[in-house]
Amino acid sequence: MSMIEFKNVEKYYGNFHALKNINLKIDEGETVVLIGPSGSGKSTLIRTVNGLEEIQEGQLLVNGFDLHDPKTDMNRIRKNVGMVFQHFNLYNNKSTIENVMLAPRLVLKRDEAENKREAMALLEKVGLADKAANMPSELSGGQKQRAAIARSLAMKPKALLFDEPTSALDPEMIGDVLDVMRDIAKDSSMTMLVVTHEMSFAKAVADRVIFMADGEILEDSSTKEFFENPKEERAKQFLSQVADH
Amino acid sequence: MVTLGIFSAFTPQNVMYLLGGLGITVGVSIISVILSLIFGSVVGIIQFERLPYFSKFVGTINNVIRNLPLLLIIFFVYFALPKIGIHLPIFWATVVAMSTFESAMLAEIVRGGLESIDIGQFEGARANGLSNMQTMIYIILPQAYKKMIPPIISQLISLVKDTSLAMGIVLAEMTYRSQIIYAQNSTYIIPVLVAITLVYFVLNYGLSLIARWADHKLA
Repeated sequence: MSMIEFKNVEKYYGNFHALKNINLKIDEGETVVLIGPSGSGKSTLIRTVNGLEEIQEGQLLVNGFDLHDPKTDMNRIRKNVGMVFQHFNLYNNKSTIENVMLAPRLVLKRDEAENKREAMALLEKVGLADKAANMPSELSGGQKQRAAIARSLAMKPKALLFDEPTSALDPEMIGDVLDVMRDIAKDSSMTMLVVTHEMSFAKAVADRVIFMADGEILEDSSTKEFFENPKEERAKQFLSQVADH
Repeated sequence: MVTLGIFSAFTPQNVMYLLGGLGITVGVSIISVILSLIFGSVVGIIQFERLPYFSKFVGTINNVIRNLPLLLIIFFVYFALPKIGIHLPIFWATVVAMSTFESAMLAEIVRGGLESIDIGQFEGARANGLSNMQTMIYIILPQAYKKMIPPIISQLISLVKDTSLAMGIVLAEMTYRSQIIYAQNSTYIIPVLVAITLVYFVLNYGLSLIARWADHKLA
């Protein structure tokens, strides 16, 4: 069953055509990496999946619900779709563990003792058990991002969206965050859509690679095919540019 | 003789009379502070939420009120409303006028405070599954109020001071009563005015100390 499906989706910011005729199907459990030059619409596309950006035309089915239908309850979609942001967006007024526990408590009405146990287990998993009581301002960038991942996982989502999760991090912090993401990708039931510039991560983890430019999907291939034999000229050019780094 | 005035101005009767005025000043202040914090927050949030038409409408009314002299609003509530059948006792007329004006002032502070919060805080919460209401209550408002404490307190200090404007409709608050007392004897003018100066200062300085404490505690 497909977890996320775009059918002829169009997105505009005023006169600017941000997403052009997007057709894309992501199955349950798949890990898909979205790459492309900046301004290509990757972030816009991923943000439409949990309704942070509205679409103007077409159909966008997430977990069976049409996001373009005004009757769809966005809160219900977001319960099942987590998101990890470039700038973490941790709750600045809450400690690390409270960041993880808040949504399960408020939205899922999870029992407090169980909530705490699960939150601690998640912090353990991302290597932040000793930072549970710290405020976000006391964490490094890499720690913040791992806390944000734990916060998303606490909702037990069916899909996780990653919007350039390592772009704001110092180079030495990136590895730990990618390790955590690799771990999540191993879970065969988790659907992951990742916008990233980390080609080594894409090669190692992605089932499929989507290449975007100027608001269009130019290439949608298996990871092996994309890196070994890209079809599109723009994709070849992009790969040669990022390969230098 | 000024010195003579100091001793004779503060007869037990006059002191009690002034304290009664202080009670009214403090009463109007406390009720107006509570009401304007509530309504100011609601109006500020409505303006911030940019609801179609409604936010614009509320914003326009808010703009009008903020640009009127408070004394005019007091006159309006006490003298004009009875003409259309709404009669308020003088104490409550003052409370309504003060609360209306201060709510409008506080709403601007609240709106500005909310707008200073990084959009990422909203997106993080919404993506995490929180409803709009939960996002406001648990994430946005606590962070915004922390930033708003200093301007809110300075607004509340001017509220306390502005209660003295109600002498314009002859509310027997502290400033009005002091006038009654020194009208009896001109040697009372300096001691009585100095006394109420001290009282206003203590009230408002107390408020600013609370503000500093809260700011320090929350920051």
